[in-house]
Amino acid sequence: MPNQRPLKLLHLYPEEMNLYGDRGNVLALTRRAEWRGLTVEVISRGAGQLVDWDTVDLVFMGGGEDSHQARIVDDFLRLGEALVPRLEQGLPMLAICGAFQLLGQSYETADGQTLPGLGFFDAWTEAGRVRAIGDVVSKTELAVEPPTIVGFENHGGLTYLGSSSQPLGRVLLGRGNNGKDGTEGAVKNHVIGTYLHGSLLPKNPHLTDLLLSWALRYRGVAQELPPLDTELEWTAHGVIVSRAKR
Amino acid sequence: MTIKLWLAVWAGRMAGWVSRLTGRGGSSLPGLVARRLEPATLTQLVRHLSWGAILLTGTNGKTTTAALARQIFEEAHRRVVTNRAGANLIEGLTAALVQAERWRVAPRAALALLETDEATMPRAAREIRPRVVTVTNFFRDQLDRYGELSTTVKYVARGIEELLPEGRLVLNADDPQVAGLRRDGVHTVFYGLELAEPTSEGDAEAGDARFCPYCGTALQYRRRYYAHIGHYACPGCGWERPQPRVRVVDWHPGAGWATVEVDAERVTVPWRLPGIYNLYNLGAGLATVVAAGLTLEAIQAGMERFKPAFGRMENLTVGVARWWLALVKNPTGFNQVLATLAESRLPSFGVVVAINDHYADGRDVSWLWDVDFERWLPRLSAQHWYVTGTRAYDMAVRLKYAGLSLAHITVETHLEAMLERLKRQERFETLYVLPTYTALLAIRRQLTRWGVTEHFREG
Ligand SMILES: [Zn+2]
Repeated sequence: MPNQRPLKLLHLYPEEMNLYGDRGNVLALTRRAEWRGLTVEVISRGAGQLVDWDTVDLVFMGGGEDSHQARIVDDFLRLGEALVPRLEQGLPMLAICGAFQLLGQSYETADGQTLPGLGFFDAWTEAGRVRAIGDVVSKTELAVEPPTIVGFENHGGLTYLGSSSQPLGRVLLGRGNNGKDGTEGAVKNHVIGTYLHGSLLPKNPHLTDLLLSWALRYRGVAQELPPLDTELEWTAHGVIVSRAKR
Repeated sequence: MTIKLWLAVWAGRMAGWVSRLTGRGGSSLPGLVARRLEPATLTQLVRHLSWGAILLTGTNGKTTTAALARQIFEEAHRRVVTNRAGANLIEGLTAALVQAERWRVAPRAALALLETDEATMPRAAREIRPRVVTVTNFFRDQLDRYGELSTTVKYVARGIEELLPEGRLVLNADDPQVAGLRRDGVHTVFYGLELAEPTSEGDAEAGDARFCPYCGTALQYRRRYYAHIGHYACPGCGWERPQPRVRVVDWHPGAGWATVEVDAERVTVPWRLPGIYNLYNLGAGLATVVAAGLTLEAIQAGMERFKPAFGRMENLTVGVARWWLALVKNPTGFNQVLATLAESRLPSFGVVVAINDHYADGRDVSWLWDVDFERWLPRLSAQHWYVTGTRAYDMAVRLKYAGLSLAHITVETHLEAMLERLKRQERFETLYVLPTYTALLAIRRQLTRWGVTEHFREG
């Protein structure tokens, strides 16, 4: 394993889209790969910079303030021409909050304009009146064990999934995509969109490992990830899960 | 620039010099003289400002609010012209612009921040065409001057009509008369208090504006911070306190800081001024700079200079060890504390981190991932980390992913149990104890039980 080329993690707009500790997700991916003897190279890409798509194995993009998001959205829509076909072919991506919204068909800005997204997810986002803020526990249909996902949501947008969409999970605690239908996030191919911060991945090591295994598969490496001592992470996970049971 | 303006400005400045040399005050005199020669002096000088003008009005708090906003603007490298406290009639505003420069005629400043008497608002706004109007509050002391409170409100409302088309209003959401100044089509930044804990100040004080500005029904208060200022709703027409964008959510006078939320973001700033009323000035000042387009980072930078409240540590003796206490609340503060520890040059110490996620702490612990442990851990000679509080495991995971070996981490979510254990420890002579707010309170309670609080230096 050690003489393989590093896994390349593309971190989109780290300056603008980095709200609520989202960089913890990059850290979780990097560390859990390193602890298995893999190396991860993080490529940070801001607006207007080029991407060598043929070397990218995994993509991460976080959420940002409205004004910051407004600054990158045009660039991201242009980027979509190269990104979306690859997502269709199995390039894995984790998209949090604003990034999740931008992967949908459309979203509504705080001042009421409806703007197009990349249209990768069959989903759309409307501006909500009250922010959804609080702990979230959801139950996922992804093949991971345990089936729970935990995090902290803080979003004003209400996201609705089209009939062809699969949610990432169904909320046991918290509001989720829109507070009405119980869905949280979305999954399509190997792309996970979600509203959960916390950071998400450190406290959900099963998702971290799933993304890493998808990245290896996308690159064409047939390799099982050896198990790690993850007791601490699962205890942190369990603290929030237990709040759903109260 | 017209010759008339040039003459007016220089005549005004000379009048100012003469009056200062002869020991007379007259801070409005340069404005008065200039306006005699060129009645449009104020209008013409304001046009030279690269950004524009902000008018601050209301009964109380104009001066403090202006000082706060000015500090943040200047820290963000925006040149500001302000008028002297009290020189807030039209001549005083003119004098500020006339005397903005020493040798040049036109001001080079980006903006003028002018506290303006309420009755002067219509005229000042007509001459200046402000980009932002900030209204603090309306109290009854003006009854003597302008008849009734609603007259004052009308003056201010007429001033607001002169806002530039893209202009913004900054209004106190918690004062119903001020909140009622909002108008359709004008972008408004509301500010207010949303403190978690009830306050003891002035529950039963007589209020001024207890009636709905729309239908006249007596307002009902869910919470009253002082006088008529608080969270209200009208049982007559259903109008209620608008949801503010800028919210003061937490305040600790002893420790000297306050937490403000702006939209979905929160920032903790040093804040040492006494009283609830000053918290409204904090809200007004921050809402004003937000309305002028400054970011939260700029606000944070501007406020730090008010007084560094972090890093100033309490210390006391517990068992064989010296304990140093410092509140941690956000990434900036935590980084500052870690920087302080890195400077300590002690060969060996332990670190205790107590992370709670109760309301007063902030429910979201995501911010721990924005603390730069990756940078600071290699520079700390800490031998062991004791992690406690309701979110102890999140903190432990954070340290693990920053590269700390689990052998150097002890986790105990139960704070009191951890403290009992630490009281008996003999491994370290120095412990740095870094709690969130409610954890700090719990630690102090425990220390009081142990009888070691007398060493405290409050705030
Ligand atoms: Zn009413």
